[in-house]
Amino acid sequence: MIRRTLRLLFPLVLVGSLADFFNRSWLQPTGYYYQTLHVTGWMLRRTRLQQATLLLQTGTLGLASLGAAFLVSYGLVAHATTKASDRFLAGGLAVLGIQFLNVDPATLQVNRPLGWLAMNTGLGGLAIGLIVGLMVGQLYCLGIQRWPHPGDDLVRPLTLGGIGLLLESGLSVLWLMRTTLGVPLKLGAWLKAPLTLTTGWGQLFRFSVLNGLLTWVGMLNPVTSLTKQSVLATQNLAEVLATGKWHILHPLIAPTLLTPYANMGGTGMTLGLLVAIFLVRRNLVQRQVGWLSALLVFSNFNAPLLVGLPVIWSPLLGIPFLLAPLACLALSSLCLALRWVPASAYPLLVGTPGPLMSFLGTNGALSALVLALVNLALSTAIYYPFVKWAALVERQSAKGGDDAWLS
Amino acid sequence: MAQLKRHLSLIILMGLGLLLCLPGLEWRTHQTQAVRANYRSAMAPVILVPGSSATQNRFNTLVRVLNTQTKTPHSLLRVEVRTNNQLVYSGTVKKGDRQPFIVIGFQDHADGATNIYKQAAWFAVAFRALQKTYHFNHFSAMGHSNGGLVLTLFLEQALASTGAHADRLMTIASPFNLEETDSRVDTPMFKRLVAGRTHLPQSMVVYSLAGSQSYNGDGIVPFDSVERGKYIFQKQVKSFTQITVSGANANHANLPENQQIVRLIQQDLLD
Repeated sequence: MIRRTLRLLFPLVLVGSLADFFNRSWLQPTGYYYQTLHVTGWMLRRTRLQQATLLLQTGTLGLASLGAAFLVSYGLVAHATTKASDRFLAGGLAVLGIQFLNVDPATLQVNRPLGWLAMNTGLGGLAIGLIVGLMVGQLYCLGIQRWPHPGDDLVRPLTLGGIGLLLESGLSVLWLMRTTLGVPLKLGAWLKAPLTLTTGWGQLFRFSVLNGLLTWVGMLNPVTSLTKQSVLATQNLAEVLATGKWHILHPLIAPTLLTPYANMGGTGMTLGLLVAIFLVRRNLVQRQVGWLSALLVFSNFNAPLLVGLPVIWSPLLGIPFLLAPLACLALSSLCLALRWVPASAYPLLVGTPGPLMSFLGTNGALSALVLALVNLALSTAIYYPFVKWAALVERQSAKGGDDAWLS
Repeated sequence: MAQLKRHLSLIILMGLGLLLCLPGLEWRTHQTQAVRANYRSAMAPVILVPGSSATQNRFNTLVRVLNTQTKTPHSLLRVEVRTNNQLVYSGTVKKGDRQPFIVIGFQDHADGATNIYKQAAWFAVAFRALQKTYHFNHFSAMGHSNGGLVLTLFLEQALASTGAHADRLMTIASPFNLEETDSRVDTPMFKRLVAGRTHLPQSMVVYSLAGSQSYNGDGIVPFDSVERGKYIFQKQVKSFTQITVSGANANHANLPENQQIVRLIQQDLLD
C-alpha cells in the first residue's frame, strides 16, 4: 500500500523536483547551468521565473506530504471497511494531524490569528506524512474493529472523527508547547550529532549509512552539508587557491570524497540504480519512472526516482541503496590512499552531472573521471539483481491488482 | 541489430548523460577563474572605523553591548596605525570566530579633509596586513562619522587591488559633504567621493544612518551632508538604505551607543 501511495504521489514529486532543479541549477549563481551556459546573458525575467518555480516547488512538494498522510490513512481504512465516509474521514484526519503540528507556536495565543505553516514541509515532510498516515489509519481501523456494525453510515465517522480531532488537537497543543522549548532543535541536533565531526574513514562510512537511512525513510532532503564540514572544505579550497598546489588539508570529509565519488545521482548512488533499470528487461513501470526521472537523476535530484519506484520504505531496494555508496566509498578511499586519485577541493555546482562531479571537483583530473565511471559500473552491478527482483515483484503485484482499495 | 535495439534505451540514456556533461567540459577551462571569483573565506570580519578624535578603543562599549545581545559573542581586535605605517595590535581574534570585530584606529586621528585622505591610505595598509594574517577575502564594515568617509574612500580607491569583497557597509552620521551647511556648496571631499563612485562594489549592501538631535542635524553633522550619501551609493551598489534615528543618545558623539543603532547593527551588519 505504501508503494501504491508513493506512486500516486510521483507526479507531484516529479513536478516539484523539476521546479527545484530548474531553480537551483539554472536560476541561482551556484547552479551548474547558470555558470556553464552563462544564463545571466540571455535569460529574461529571471527573478519572476524564480518566484514561479518556488511557488510550484513549495505547492507540489507540500501537497505531496499531505497527500501521503491522506492516502496511507485512507488505504488502511479501505482494507477494514467499504464505507466511503470512513475512508475519507480517516484520510482527512491524517491531513489535519500534520496541519495541527505545522503551526507557528508563537502565534498560538488567544485573540491572535493562528500562523498555519501549511505546505512548507518540502521533501523532508514525506516521512512525516507516511508516519502520521500510518498512525491515524491504524487507530481508525482499531475503532472500526471495536464498532463493526454501526446503526447508520454517519454515526461511526462522526463519533470516531470527533474523538480523533479532540485527540489530535490535544496532542498538538502539547507538542507546540514543547516546541517553544526547543524540542525540534534538540531532535535535529541529536540526529546530526554523529555527523558533526565527519573526518576519517569510519566517520565517513557512518555518515553515508545515516544519510542513506534518513533518505530511505522519506526524509528526502537529509543532512548533506554541515557547518563544520563546510568550514573544513573552505580551508581545503583556501589552501589550494593560496598555494596553487593540490594540497588538501582535510582529505577525508564528505565534500572531498563522499559527494564527488560516491553520491552520483544523489544519496544512495542512484545513478547506478538508473542504469540498472535500463539493463533489466520486462520492467515497463520501472523504465517509465526511469525515463521521467533521468534528467533529474543525472543532476543529482533523485526524489522522483526514490518515490516512483519506490525505494522509500522498500526493504528490497533499501539494501543496495545503502550498500552501493559504501562500496564506492571503500573503493575511492583505497584509490585515494594509494594516491591514484586526488581528493576534491573545488566547490561543486548544484546540478553538476554525477559522472562529472569528481572531474570538476579535482580541477580536471582524468583519474578522478575514470574512478567515477568505475564507481558507476560498481554501483550498477550492486543494484542490478535487486532491480531485477523488484521488477518481478512488480509484475506479480500487477497481476494481483492491488489498486482495489482506491475504488 | 537486435542487440542494438535491445540496448537502445541505454544508449539514449548515455547520450543524454554526455549531452548534459558537454557544457561542463567546455566551461572547465574557466573553472579556476570562476572558483577564485566566487570563493569566500570562512572568516568575514566586521571592521569598525572610529571618527576623528577617537581612538581604536572607541567601540569597546559598543562591542560589549553587541556581545551581550548576540547568541555567539565575537572577539575584538584593535589595530592602531601609526603615521609611519607601523601597526600596533591589542586584543585577539579567537580561533574559530568567523565574524570577529576588528577596530582600525589611527595615531593621527585629527579632523580635516587632508587627514581623512591620509587615514584612508593608512586603513589600506592595515587592511592588507590583516588580510595576510587572517586570510579573509570578504568583510563588512561600519564607520562612525569621518570613519565612514575613510571606508568609502578605501572602497573606491583600494578595495579592488586587495581582491577582497565588501558584503555590507554601515555609515553612522558620516558627513559626505563634511560640515558644510549650505546645501548648494559641494566640498572637494564630496566631489572626490562622487567621482570615484563607479569603483564601489556592485554587490555591496549599504546603510547610511543619521542622528536627529535638532531638525537640521545631530548637533555636529548637518542632515544634508549625511543625505548626500545617496549621490555616492545610489545606483552603484546592490542596495542603499537611509535611516534617521532620534530620541535619547541621538547626538553625534553618542550615536554608536544609541539603542536603535545597536539594534540596526545587530540586525543588518551581523550574521
